[in-house]
Amino acid sequence: MITLTNLSKIFRTELIETHALRDVTLQVNEGEFAALTGPSGSGKSTLLNILGTLESFDSGDYLLDGKSIKGLSDAALSQLRNEKIGFIFQSFNLIKDFSIYDNIELPLRYRGLKAAERKQRIEQALELVGLHARRDYLPAQLSGGQQQRVAIARAIAGRPRILLADEPTGNLDSLMARQVMELLEQINQQGCTILMVTHDPDQARRAGRNIQIIDGQLHDSTMYEPLATQSA
Amino acid sequence: MSLSLLLKVMLNRKIVTILLLLQLAITLALLLNSVLLAQQTHQQLNQPTGLELEDTLLVQLKPTTPQLRMYPLLEDLLQRQVRALQNIPGVIAAAYSNQAVITQGGNNGNIYDVDNEDRTNISSVPMYFVSPDFFKVLNVNVVQGELPQLSSYLDGDTQPGVILTQRLTERLFPGESVVGRQLNRGPVSAVISDFYGQRSAEDVMYNSIQVAPPYAVDWGYALMLRTAPGQAGAVREQLTTVLQTVEPNIEIYYIRSLAEQQRQLYRNEYGLASLLTILTALMLLVTMISSYSSAHFHVLKRQQEIGVKRALGASKRLIFIELLSESWLCTLIGAFLGIGCALILNQALAQVISIPSLNWWLPLITSAILLFSVTLATWYPATIATRVSPATATKAL
Amino acid sequence: MEQFIYYLKVSLLSIKRAPLPYALTVFILSVGLGVFFANATFYYQLNSDPLPGKSDKLFFPMTLTPYDCNDCRPPRILSYSNVQKLAASDIPSAQAAMYSSDGYARLTIDQPPTPVVIRITQRDFFQMFDVPLLHGSVWPDDNGHHQVILSRPMALKLFGRTAVVGESLLLDDRNFRIIGVLDEWQMLPRLYDANGRNHLTANEDIFLPLETGYDLNYLSKTNSQTFDDTDYRQLATEGRVGALHQLQYWVQLDTAAQQEDYQQYMQSLAEDEKAAGRHPAPINNQLVPMLGIVDYFGDDPGDIKAFALVTLLFLVVCLFNASHLALNRYLSNQYEFSLRRALGASRSQLQLQMLADVLLMTVFSLLGALFIGYAGVSLMNALLPQNSLFSTWDLTLITALILAAFTCSYLVTLYPSLRASFGSLNQQLKE
Repeated sequence: MITLTNLSKIFRTELIETHALRDVTLQVNEGEFAALTGPSGSGKSTLLNILGTLESFDSGDYLLDGKSIKGLSDAALSQLRNEKIGFIFQSFNLIKDFSIYDNIELPLRYRGLKAAERKQRIEQALELVGLHARRDYLPAQLSGGQQQRVAIARAIAGRPRILLADEPTGNLDSLMARQVMELLEQINQQGCTILMVTHDPDQARRAGRNIQIIDGQLHDSTMYEPLATQSA
Repeated sequence: MSLSLLLKVMLNRKIVTILLLLQLAITLALLLNSVLLAQQTHQQLNQPTGLELEDTLLVQLKPTTPQLRMYPLLEDLLQRQVRALQNIPGVIAAAYSNQAVITQGGNNGNIYDVDNEDRTNISSVPMYFVSPDFFKVLNVNVVQGELPQLSSYLDGDTQPGVILTQRLTERLFPGESVVGRQLNRGPVSAVISDFYGQRSAEDVMYNSIQVAPPYAVDWGYALMLRTAPGQAGAVREQLTTVLQTVEPNIEIYYIRSLAEQQRQLYRNEYGLASLLTILTALMLLVTMISSYSSAHFHVLKRQQEIGVKRALGASKRLIFIELLSESWLCTLIGAFLGIGCALILNQALAQVISIPSLNWWLPLITSAILLFSVTLATWYPATIATRVSPATATKAL
Repeated sequence: MEQFIYYLKVSLLSIKRAPLPYALTVFILSVGLGVFFANATFYYQLNSDPLPGKSDKLFFPMTLTPYDCNDCRPPRILSYSNVQKLAASDIPSAQAAMYSSDGYARLTIDQPPTPVVIRITQRDFFQMFDVPLLHGSVWPDDNGHHQVILSRPMALKLFGRTAVVGESLLLDDRNFRIIGVLDEWQMLPRLYDANGRNHLTANEDIFLPLETGYDLNYLSKTNSQTFDDTDYRQLATEGRVGALHQLQYWVQLDTAAQQEDYQQYMQSLAEDEKAAGRHPAPINNQLVPMLGIVDYFGDDPGDIKAFALVTLLFLVVCLFNASHLALNRYLSNQYEFSLRRALGASRSQLQLQMLADVLLMTVFSLLGALFIGYAGVSLMNALLPQNSLFSTWDLTLITALILAAFTCSYLVTLYPSLRASFGSLNQQLKE
């Protein structure tokens, strides 16, 4: 469902050009749980941002569901993000002034869903992450693990087909981290494709597929089958 | 955009929001009352006067020697001056009067129907003592009776006939025929159309006129003349020289067109309305600065939040509208409070000056002006907000 | 001291870092203060006490009403005969009747006449209103004299010098001897002439005895009324006995006892007159103190009051606004505050820093306010010219402005800096 071909991203300043990504070619199929690993500054986050249409790229192509996203307007990209992609961030990125419920509701509102439908989806998402009782709390009133679960609920409430997670457990202790991982696996089992940036080798192993990035280049170590047969 | 969410955001920034709301409310209150006052002044300056304001000139003057202020020299002076004015090319008619028209106050007294003193006694009705051409100068219509062709004398055996304006006639003799009726000032000889006399009178259109030289000119007197259309400027330039040639022992207080006389009469109201307008402009400027800086600051502070929203699928347009909506909501609540403040301010102002009370449509218009200013000021910061990259969200704090 | 200079330097540095928000804050504060100050100038001068220490002893008695009316006040101008009846009392320490008239003065018949405003009054006038004499003296008594007293500017205008006692001049072509010249004198507001808005105008040029004014048929230039068929051209005869009202009348009553006695005297007088059939209206005596006379007559120029209310509100708005801006500025600098705290600065040291901020803000906004205030006063003089005599700044006003600027700067800085200095250390540094 995700196809990157020869995709490059260059950061330019007045003095230097940095190749954040070089000729990246990648195929991700529906239902996969892939881990993105690599040293700091290797380009993992940039890749994730591009996959999430948060950043643009300089050359190559990105097909989502077989359609190129090149040249799409801001409104179209926003809609795409809203409907197909869910995000989970390391620092949770909940909006401080909003209650848990309001935070989860935000993407649903952007989609223009009716109030009843929104309510039903939020309830479901809250049920899934086990925070139904805390729906009226403010983010600051929750622990880190709980906050991340809210962020996950927000990401999945819109029933995205792809979930992009940027070190979702980076700010959490090991117990909390395990809970979050279990939750992500559960979501993956329901059919959602997940790409997760992580530093933790254990977590990378739990994912079905491990994609390594070093200096902007991809070293794919697929667990099951080589990429070539998949793309045929 | 959800109203309840916007409200929540505002509630979370209590102090800042309260400051902004108070400011918006007071601004609207001032804006509203300034407009009201300006509107009133405008109406006062545009109320009908029954006179040809641009083409009628007025000279207020006084003889500087005691001899010239006494009869018979005075009457001779008045006649010489009127004759000289009539001879100026472009002058249609010229006359003297003991006092000018369109004034605050002047020579006035009570007037009543001698058969009916209790019911008809009106105080402070202007008394004009004029030369026969006075009516021609004012270009008034005769409604009833006939105007005297010759001047008579106030100290004579019989009282000179009294000419009344229409509105005064209706008040004194409602629905009756009036020519020949006896007033305390003399018998009514004619009724003419209304003209603006004295502002302090019960009705500015109440006037009584007698064709006779004035008792005395210790307070000065007026020479009035009507010019052919467009001739006022040329005639005016000659007036001082002509009058000085006729008699050098005079002091000319001023020469004005009736339009200037009217502006002079409402100068205070005009001044206050101008000041309030300037103040209101300053206040709108201050409000714009504050809306601008408030929006700008919040955009900077909330880059992360905007980034998250963008990542969750909010388009640039939506972010833009969301920020503007915050300003709009604030402005509308401020405006709503402001109407209350405006009512209070209106009543407070009514204690010290005359100001009309609020009507229903003015709050709508002024709120719209306020909303427009705020929108204008928020536009740029909101544009900056749309430039926040959604990738901001993934960067750690 | 050196430490404080350091604080000032730090303040300047933080201004340099974000000059626009600071400039906007100062601008808004200056506009608010300047506009307020411009109007406050007029308000203060118009409501100032022209005779401090004495104004509470001077009263305007109004008693006899020559016509029938219900619930009405006695006329605000008195007739000659009414004044005579009141003047029969020896309770007041001083008393003077007065009115003003127009005339023309010159030294010889060949000169062009100079228009003059004449105050026609009695000898106690000069003592009652603390009128300073430069040369000569006032009239020996309240009888008619062909003697005048000149104001200093009028003496200079007519003669080019002030020592002119003993010289003569022509007033409306009649010969008068000059017996006195006033020193520099400007009573503002001129409350003894509160009629219409006359108390806002400049002093008179020439002073003439009341009896002479009546003898020569000088009519009041401001307000005169007749309540019977008195002919105003016969002031010397009919005007002295008939109901021709044109006089203002002031009495000096030094003690509460005198005031009470005088009230009683007015009451007896009114009762006598009523019995004699010359006072048909119900008795409604008024003894109005000088500072209350403008209000009593209802001649207060409401525009300045209205504008005072409005400019005060405007100042409040500007204060809200400036503190709003300052809050934003401080919150942007909050990191720096927290860092200082982390480096060991105490709260009181931060408060000293804040004081330096306040002082700088005071200086800048004061300069701005003076500039805008000056522009505002000029504008108001152009738009409301009748108040132009009341547009001067004195030490009291300037001091008040400095205090106001300091207070406003302090208020504007107080909340934001408190909030910044008490902000949670931990959280700020983590961010």
